[in-house]
Amino acid sequence: MAVIVSIHSFRGGTGKSNLTANLASQIAVSGKRVAIIDTDIQSPGIHVLFGLNEEKMGRTLNEFLRSECSIEDVAFDIGEHIGDAPGRKSLAGKAFWLVPSSINSGEISRILRDGYDVGKLNEGMNRLIKGLKLDYLFIDTHPGLNEETLLSIAISDVLLVVMRPDQQDFQGTAVTVDIARGLDVPNLFLLVNKALTRYDPNQIREHVEGIFQAPVACVLPLTEDMADMGSADIFSLRYPDHPWSKSLREAAQAVLNAA
Amino acid sequence: MSVFDRLQKQLDIQKREHGISALELADLPPNLRKIMRLMLREVVLKYTDLCHAVEAMPAANRLSKPELDSALKTLVEQNWLLCTGEGEFLSYRVNLRRKAGSSLNKDIWASLDNRIAGSKSQEAPNQKINPGG
Repeated sequence: MAVIVSIHSFRGGTGKSNLTANLASQIAVSGKRVAIIDTDIQSPGIHVLFGLNEEKMGRTLNEFLRSECSIEDVAFDIGEHIGDAPGRKSLAGKAFWLVPSSINSGEISRILRDGYDVGKLNEGMNRLIKGLKLDYLFIDTHPGLNEETLLSIAISDVLLVVMRPDQQDFQGTAVTVDIARGLDVPNLFLLVNKALTRYDPNQIREHVEGIFQAPVACVLPLTEDMADMGSADIFSLRYPDHPWSKSLREAAQAVLNAA
Repeated sequence: MSVFDRLQKQLDIQKREHGISALELADLPPNLRKIMRLMLREVVLKYTDLCHAVEAMPAANRLSKPELDSALKTLVEQNWLLCTGEGEFLSYRVNLRRKAGSSLNKDIWASLDNRIAGSKSQEAPNQKINPGG
């Protein structure tokens, strides 16, 4: 049975999409069959990390939700179309797909105006798992709490809540953790991102675990190298020996172990 | 489309309007929530498969058959699960409520659409000059 992994953050700017792309890539490179679905319909962005733009991405989740195509039509084969970024070259031939949301302004406003069938989104994820024989389905969610976020949490085997060591994130994360517990998510992990390097990551881990009574999958350092890349590639594949990448692989291992 | 098809479509739309919202899932009593989690993952399940799935749950979470039947009855009464067939063909389908659209005045959306259409037509000449992007 496929493992559904939701990546969530209560606030924007935590690096959620970047983490999702990197985690899913690491697991795809390990030989698992992996897909990412971008349910951040209001502000999609993960496609950028895989070198896609509006012209290249083809069909989108928005079209599937309007019953204009099948979910399989939307699944973009990353393993077959890696482009020329050095990091993504490691994904060549891997069983790895992305279901992108539309970046077209008219499409986004249409979803906001008309709403959509949440049941169809759920059925699409189910069909994707079966049709592509997935081992892992990663769900990149919209920050905060809304319908698709709660649905993704409710169906998840693993929930990763991304937070920065920041008071606003601490309060927001508490809300998300409460809801995840209310929805009986079997495996809940916290990911601390953008931690200042002058602090001991082990102390940050202990502090966060003490507050939320949940395991921290990894503490990722704030790094200019990541900012410099500007989402142009999969950082942990391009720089596998970078401290950020090493920490990221701890989280990937936690996901693999949880399954 | 026949009269029957139109009627069925209308009934389906009404059922969707009465389905469960993701917001309500967290407030369900534990037994109902366990069943809904299972159903959300599978979308459609035969009763017999549902019984097997419940039996496979860890002992601490497992529902007895009367508890399962009672939970299913409640979920169907609320229209959160839709029940079809009989006997060995008895099956359940999860019924999620449609996400409502915006309640903003339609003129605002029409104005936004016009703006988007306007900006697209201005972008078009550039795209022709450099189609590779």
